[in-house]
Amino acid sequence: MMQLLIGQVLNGIIVGTLYGVIALGVTLTFGITGIVNFALGEFMMIGAYFTWYLVDFGGLPFAVALLPAVAGTAACGFLTDQLLFRFTRNNLVNGLLVSIGLISVVEAGALLLWSATPKEMSYVLTGSLQLGGISLPRMKLLVFGLLAAVILCTYAALSRTWMGRAAYAFAQNPEAAMLMGVKTARLQTGVVVYSTALAGFGGSLYASLYTLEPAMGGLYILKGVEAAILGGIGSPLGSLVGGLILGVTEAVGSIYLPSAFRDAYGLIFVVAILLYRPSGLFGADK
Amino acid sequence: MTRMLVWICAIAFAVTPSFAQDVVKIGQIEAQTGPNAIYGYMSSQGMPIAVDQINKAGGFKVGDKTYKLELISPDTRGDPKEASIQLKKMLETDGVKFVFGPFLSNVFVTVEPYAKQFNGKFLMMGGATRIHEFLDTPDHEFLMRTWNWDAGPKGFGNLMVDRLIKDTGAKKVAILIQNDQGGKVIADIYLPMFKAKGVETQLEFFEPGTKDFSAVLAKLAAGKPDILFPGYTDAALYDIVRQATEGNYFRRFFLVRGSLGPGLKNKDQIDDYFVYVPKYFEQAEKTDPKIAKFVADYKAFYKRDFPYDQAPLCSSSCYDHVFMLVEAMKKAGSVTDVTKIRKELLAMTYDGLWKISYDEHGEEIINFDVVHMTKGGKIAVTSIEAR
Amino acid sequence: MKVLRWLPWVALAVLPLVLHSNFILTIFIFSFILGMAAVSFNLVFGFTGQLSMFHAAAFGIGAYVTYLAVSRWHVSFWIALLPTIAITVAISIVVGVICFKFKLKAFYFAVVTMAFSELARLIVLNWNSVTNGTLGLMVLDKPVVWIPGAGSLKIDGTTAWYYFSFIGLMMTVAVCAIVLRSWIGRCFAAIRLNEDLAQTLGIDIFRYKLLSFMIANILAALAGSVYAFYIGYIEPSYLSIAQSLDIIAMVLLGGRSSIIGPIVGAFVLTGLPHVIELSAELRVILYGLILILTILLMPNGIVGTLVSRRRAT
Repeated sequence: MMQLLIGQVLNGIIVGTLYGVIALGVTLTFGITGIVNFALGEFMMIGAYFTWYLVDFGGLPFAVALLPAVAGTAACGFLTDQLLFRFTRNNLVNGLLVSIGLISVVEAGALLLWSATPKEMSYVLTGSLQLGGISLPRMKLLVFGLLAAVILCTYAALSRTWMGRAAYAFAQNPEAAMLMGVKTARLQTGVVVYSTALAGFGGSLYASLYTLEPAMGGLYILKGVEAAILGGIGSPLGSLVGGLILGVTEAVGSIYLPSAFRDAYGLIFVVAILLYRPSGLFGADK
Repeated sequence: MTRMLVWICAIAFAVTPSFAQDVVKIGQIEAQTGPNAIYGYMSSQGMPIAVDQINKAGGFKVGDKTYKLELISPDTRGDPKEASIQLKKMLETDGVKFVFGPFLSNVFVTVEPYAKQFNGKFLMMGGATRIHEFLDTPDHEFLMRTWNWDAGPKGFGNLMVDRLIKDTGAKKVAILIQNDQGGKVIADIYLPMFKAKGVETQLEFFEPGTKDFSAVLAKLAAGKPDILFPGYTDAALYDIVRQATEGNYFRRFFLVRGSLGPGLKNKDQIDDYFVYVPKYFEQAEKTDPKIAKFVADYKAFYKRDFPYDQAPLCSSSCYDHVFMLVEAMKKAGSVTDVTKIRKELLAMTYDGLWKISYDEHGEEIINFDVVHMTKGGKIAVTSIEAR
Repeated sequence: MKVLRWLPWVALAVLPLVLHSNFILTIFIFSFILGMAAVSFNLVFGFTGQLSMFHAAAFGIGAYVTYLAVSRWHVSFWIALLPTIAITVAISIVVGVICFKFKLKAFYFAVVTMAFSELARLIVLNWNSVTNGTLGLMVLDKPVVWIPGAGSLKIDGTTAWYYFSFIGLMMTVAVCAIVLRSWIGRCFAAIRLNEDLAQTLGIDIFRYKLLSFMIANILAALAGSVYAFYIGYIEPSYLSIAQSLDIIAMVLLGGRSSIIGPIVGAFVLTGLPHVIELSAELRVILYGLILILTILLMPNGIVGTLVSRRRAT
């Protein structure tokens, strides 16, 4: 029993980092552009499909394929920012609805291109690490490491570099930041592009673990939003912690309670935390 | 001037119906997009090819008239609301007498009360699992089911389970299945079947769309079963089989839906993989010229790769069924007498991609393959004639 | 000019007498019923400014409770609406108190209502003994209406349902109009425009938000009941987030600043797939594009844009 529990806590942590990277995208976008980009799940899907295509048809090794896949996703992000999100800054409802429209378009586009047949990318790293009686797939550990690293680096960049602090300043007081010389329009576009790149990166790593379908993004953006709220909107560390907690709660809940309710366990946890601490675990008290 | 226009219109209207007489309209209501697109996709792909081939060959002759086929195939998106509107348009506005589909049970159950009103005026031939319970009930002569039934003495489920027990001596089976209509029905069929044969079961449902199965696989494995029975679409199967072997939870699998693909992808980690496939296309392509031709035709028609994973679903309301319908019309000597046409369908055996016939209730019987893969990818295919 | 305002309603009322196409009338029926859901959603969204993601859950719960009351207790459709309303009120209070007492701001309100909606769906999906879970429930009963002079009439067949749903829509619009034109409605508007200011003016924003949420949910539950009895089948996907999003899209497209705007949206989105002959995927792309273009170019929706054009000239 103990083995089962520890094994699932570890797995929950790994799955949680994938939620966390999407949550990071959500939290950054909301903090700097004032909207929730629900379409981040679709950018994750784009990143996953690009990676799959480059590896299985372009013959590139996975590590090499990552860069063009993420760059391609970021380019798509840039495009949607210029065409769509640029016009919905700070308008939560409009941003939400534009994202929803974008989701339909992108998902249908993926259906047209690749059909609903699930795609499985060639395995990158096989085999599992055996710890005690627990098997941990090597690829999952690698994914965990990479995602955690990216999230922590983002946190570091935000708190230590000039650009990061400009972003924080902007989030606190847009006018003051503008007066201080922060190029706000560029900052906002930059954040949107970066968050889509994050989602794309998450998608590329997803492709090494699971099957791809055009509808895959839906689940992850929901979890990403939950995790972002749990950890506190505006806090990069919070998004990682939120993701981890969500992943672990789901995994542990599924063991002791019916797995049919798996999604509910995370939801209940989020609602409970919100009531206790409305700004999330790491969120700033407003 | 007006009078002339009126005459022209009258003549036009008088003339048009006779053009319509040389066309037989067939309808198809399937989910081509949406979360359940897997179930309607192959049928909506296979039917146009058949219609195109028949029309290109000059149509077909019934009595002394030559007819062409017109296919009306809207996308239901798996939404019962859409399907009911589309079916109404088909039956009332377009005058369709032959409707293929639906494969989705929730769509079927929604349109059934309306379709019943047209009993005797059209035929509905779909693969939905829940069609089974309506066959042979009063006022349902319009209904036929175009797929194999698991349970029952002629069912492939019984055969598979017996085979499993004989080949592996399994005493306990873990079942991991989607929490939706298809999954529920499969659980309802197989749980009593296993129990009757003295095999213990442990059942867990998962939300459709789940990607990470570690927790529930670990939970099931803790019960120390002999084999995992996962269901029931490739979308979930690839992930389940991969994670089950990676996490060292299961190495033996038993499937009544889905393909060999997940097994092959993980072949070095699997001890046994039993799967019921309506047809193992990758092998059949090499041995059966009809299959090879179909694959080639598909590629030429759509300029796309052949979906080997989806192709087994062409055993339901897909390619063969169009040709079968045309033959039934020829034998019945009519394109409108649905009672006669249904009689001919029930009486015939069609040898196309599959060998298709119908039992006395109107449920399809097809030959199928049981594939047993062992470690390293060694495959043994047993083709079974269900009769 | 006032006559023009009534023209659409009159036209709709006489349509079945002129048009005998079951197929088109069916589209109208679905548009009416979904219009009921959309108009009621706009009460809490467009007029009170709260983005509730719980609407589909109310719609679905209404469907299930009404049918279960009819089939288990053998009461008529109308009596069955009473437990439906009671349960919807109770659930609205629970969810509403949790959301509004804790003063959750716009975004968090949407997320928490989404969480409750998903919870409701999961419960309905797995409570097999009551709801038959994923297999759903077949609704074979029909509502019976007593018409003075003609006796009791069973609502069966396209024409009957057309008028039944049309009257349902008009009643929903009437209720919303009455509420919005009263002082309650003015409190809603105050909350929408500036919540903090409203509070300083002495308006108990907790109470009015809750009231708005509750009325909207009740009307949604009624719409759900009508839908279930019309389509003849209820399943857990009635409570899905996708259903909520569909309703939101209708409101946006039609216009959120008027009561009838959402009806236009309901018509367009219900009828469009059947009017345009496109491949399946292209149709979905078109749907998404319509949504995007509406936000960017016509943020007030079809009705809103037409109204402001007329005012400008």
